[in-house]
Amino acid sequence: MTDDAGVSTAVQLFPTCLGDVLARQTVDDTERVLTALGISHSRPSGTTCCGQPAFNSGHDHPARAVAKATLRALDDGSDEPILVPSGSCTSMVRLHWRELFHGTPEAEGALRVARRVRELSSYLAEHTEALRALKPTLAVRVGYHDSCHMLRELRIKEAPRQVLATIAGVELIELASSERCCGFGGTFSGRYPEVSVAMADAKIDDLEFAKIDVLVSSDPGCLMQLAGRMSRQETPVRAVHLATLLCEALA
Amino acid sequence: MSATREDVGGTPLPPGWAQPAHQPDAFEISTTTFEQRATETMARPFARRAIANATDHAAALTTARFVGIDHDALRDKARQIRAHAIANLPDYLDQWIDAAEAHGTIVHYAADESEARRIVAQICRDEAVTRVVKSKSMASEEVSLNSALEAIGIDIYETDLGEFVVQAMGDRPGHVIAPILHRTKDEVHALFSTMAGRELPNEAEALTAFARDRLRHAFLTADAGISGGNFLIAETGEVLLVTNEGNGRLTTALPKIHIALVGIEKIVPRRRDLAVLLPLLTGHGTGQQITTYVTMVAGPRREQEPDGPERMHVVLLDAGRSALLGGEFEEALHCIRCGACQNVCPVYRQVGGHAYGWVYGGPIGAVLTPLFRGQVEGGELAHATTLCGACDDVCPVKIPLHDLLLGLRRRRDEEGCVPRSEQLAFALWGQVWSRPLLYRASTAVARGSLRVIARDGVLSAKAPLLRRWTAGRDLVVGRRRS
Amino acid sequence: MTDRASFLAAIRSTPRGSDPGLLDRSVAPDAPTQLRDGEHRADRLQAEAESVSTVVHRVVATEVGATVVGVLVAAGAQRIALTEDLAPFADAVREAATTAGLSVVGYAEAASKRAQAGALDATVTGCLAAVAATGSIVTAASGAGRAGALIAPNHVCVVRDDQIVDGLHELFDGDVLAEAGSIFALQSGPSRSADIEKVLILGVHGPGNAHVVIVAPD
Repeated sequence: MTDDAGVSTAVQLFPTCLGDVLARQTVDDTERVLTALGISHSRPSGTTCCGQPAFNSGHDHPARAVAKATLRALDDGSDEPILVPSGSCTSMVRLHWRELFHGTPEAEGALRVARRVRELSSYLAEHTEALRALKPTLAVRVGYHDSCHMLRELRIKEAPRQVLATIAGVELIELASSERCCGFGGTFSGRYPEVSVAMADAKIDDLEFAKIDVLVSSDPGCLMQLAGRMSRQETPVRAVHLATLLCEALA
Repeated sequence: MSATREDVGGTPLPPGWAQPAHQPDAFEISTTTFEQRATETMARPFARRAIANATDHAAALTTARFVGIDHDALRDKARQIRAHAIANLPDYLDQWIDAAEAHGTIVHYAADESEARRIVAQICRDEAVTRVVKSKSMASEEVSLNSALEAIGIDIYETDLGEFVVQAMGDRPGHVIAPILHRTKDEVHALFSTMAGRELPNEAEALTAFARDRLRHAFLTADAGISGGNFLIAETGEVLLVTNEGNGRLTTALPKIHIALVGIEKIVPRRRDLAVLLPLLTGHGTGQQITTYVTMVAGPRREQEPDGPERMHVVLLDAGRSALLGGEFEEALHCIRCGACQNVCPVYRQVGGHAYGWVYGGPIGAVLTPLFRGQVEGGELAHATTLCGACDDVCPVKIPLHDLLLGLRRRRDEEGCVPRSEQLAFALWGQVWSRPLLYRASTAVARGSLRVIARDGVLSAKAPLLRRWTAGRDLVVGRRRS
Repeated sequence: MTDRASFLAAIRSTPRGSDPGLLDRSVAPDAPTQLRDGEHRADRLQAEAESVSTVVHRVVATEVGATVVGVLVAAGAQRIALTEDLAPFADAVREAATTAGLSVVGYAEAASKRAQAGALDATVTGCLAAVAATGSIVTAASGAGRAGALIAPNHVCVVRDDQIVDGLHELFDGDVLAEAGSIFALQSGPSRSADIEKVLILGVHGPGNAHVVIVAPD
């Protein structure tokens, strides 16, 4: 199914493991936004995790085993885009599965899936007209956190900002530290908790933080880190996923 | 004939080094962990603030330096020069040696650190050297040259202001370019006042003047000058030195002997290639268009020249470098030691150079240390990064640091250097999450447990499996809106 | 002891990495160190040198002696050395300096004893070339010696307009370096350090007071 502009209007959604455990709200909100846009969506059954935690720790065997399950679930013969509400997981599937499955029977399937995955905000940025027509409204001052893999691997910087700009009442305040790593780094956050927390503070202590109500990002991993530290510090700023903010603006 | 990549039909080459490059010296093995060393620096508020400020400042200067220039194209050219030089390393070294010897340079060959120390010590004995002035050299840090020379009774004066402080404090440089980044003026003031035997004014200018006087005396009385080298020019047999203080050139000018200790990877084919590399080295190092002093040395003093040493010795240092050639980590040899990756690294910004435990800090340190020192001493460092990729984006010679770090993590797994608990955890994880049914069951259990132990959607208790996470952070579980 | 043959053999025994080839000579380096179109060399040299705290003087040949000595007197310099490469202007500088009561020696003589060289207040040198795009002077062991341009706290360099090259590219590719001797050196501004809490200090081991006198063509 495609709309007039030739953009596919049926999509699949890969929730990712964080979306299945800690960030279920993000997945729900993504679905609500898609529904509001009239984009039909489905969740392929049998997805698990993209394998990144093990891959980035140097453990290719378990990474491949886990990613294979997700690959089987996603490689269903359709050519519908697969939306991922996580820049980091998108980057893993899009850029690193090729390497992970190189020389295995899954190599071709991995390439097929890699071509279909889309980071959520970059997909939504192609629907800004339709979004605006829904008149999303929310009077908040927003800071945006660019997640590292989305910014420096996928090279997506403008898309989430274009999506934010569709919300009437949103004032986007560019943080000087918007591109600096939040300190999550997957297993890094558990290996070196003190350093990791200090890195989160380096973002949170940004002077401009006083000017914002909400910190928005497109990566549940970064949000888990930043929201966790802000909750501990009782920082009066909410950290939410782009999909959640959009959903609130559409309510 | 040596194998080329084409010979193996595009499949990955076998590792260039199955064993740690060489056995580290017993007295240098770092017995502390990255976390312990990091904690030490992080406990010093000034050091943390200074490191963050200085690196932010340097990174901003670098960005500003290349505004209006096709920086990316320049970096591509630099990468090409370095890749070509390293791919043809033995030929260019051969050419360099011929040219250097033709103008009277005496060339020595150090396969490892201990040989480098022996060679320099022997030169000093042969030349009856008792006092040495030294210009900042990371290669000499690698081989712990100072302690070896001190052991045979030689007086050594580090002449770079920062290194002079490092030496007097018994410290180690905290940054490739800015060695005392982590030290305060007050600390330098206290140190210099003790050395002077009187209270000096606590101002950078007066403190610098004190060091200048001390070191001027050393320059005028030293028997030998020891330097590193920023580049070796194959076509001319020259050694290039860059400094801002002028100590590099004086080191090569005033004593009767000049000894340069240079890593073999510093080779570049032609002088002309410096038109690309120099502005990148200085622009990425200090944000300068060019450093104050750029000196090209081609042998000892010649007849009719008013000053200069009677003899020039160059010690070519391998020490783990050639073992990287042709392998997965060859690109680490492209590094020109500008320090830019340290300046943008969000981890370095918090922990400084000492946390990396050896000579080099930041992303390149996390790569070079395990490669040069082996897994025992440095293997952990590959994990001491978030793989954020900021280093890849800034590197003037486009070293894929992110990929090298990931490769080192893999290597650590393959060599069985990963703690058993981590192995087991990932094996178990792989078993469970590769089966969608088990995955669903495990995530349901996780969700249920988190709901039970969380209070108001927030988990701040020190739950057994989450202790390291929740020490400084909450786990925000949240409640789903219907 | 490792010798040349075994050292190189060990390196040659390693597999060879991929080689993108030598950077083509015809490829302009695109570097910040190239002159921009339509720029006058002497003007760019002045601008770049001033941006790194060099004091620049633009003079005609007959003004060199007085200008140089004016700088020396203002700096309070007493013991002055002149290097070989000052040749075309050496007599004028020596005469003006002597008239002003300064003590003048040849650098070769001063350098014969390190302590003597180390006690100089100022040196006056010529140069082999100057690089417009980087604001640098280029001295050679055969002319200014290795330390002639930086041993004293004050340095004055006399540059003839025809010695100025566009950028690093032109310097390294040109034949001007053929007669450099055992060293050639670029020097751009006063000696500096920011090691102590990032405070910029001029005059660490080299001169803190650096002057360039650009002599216009006749």
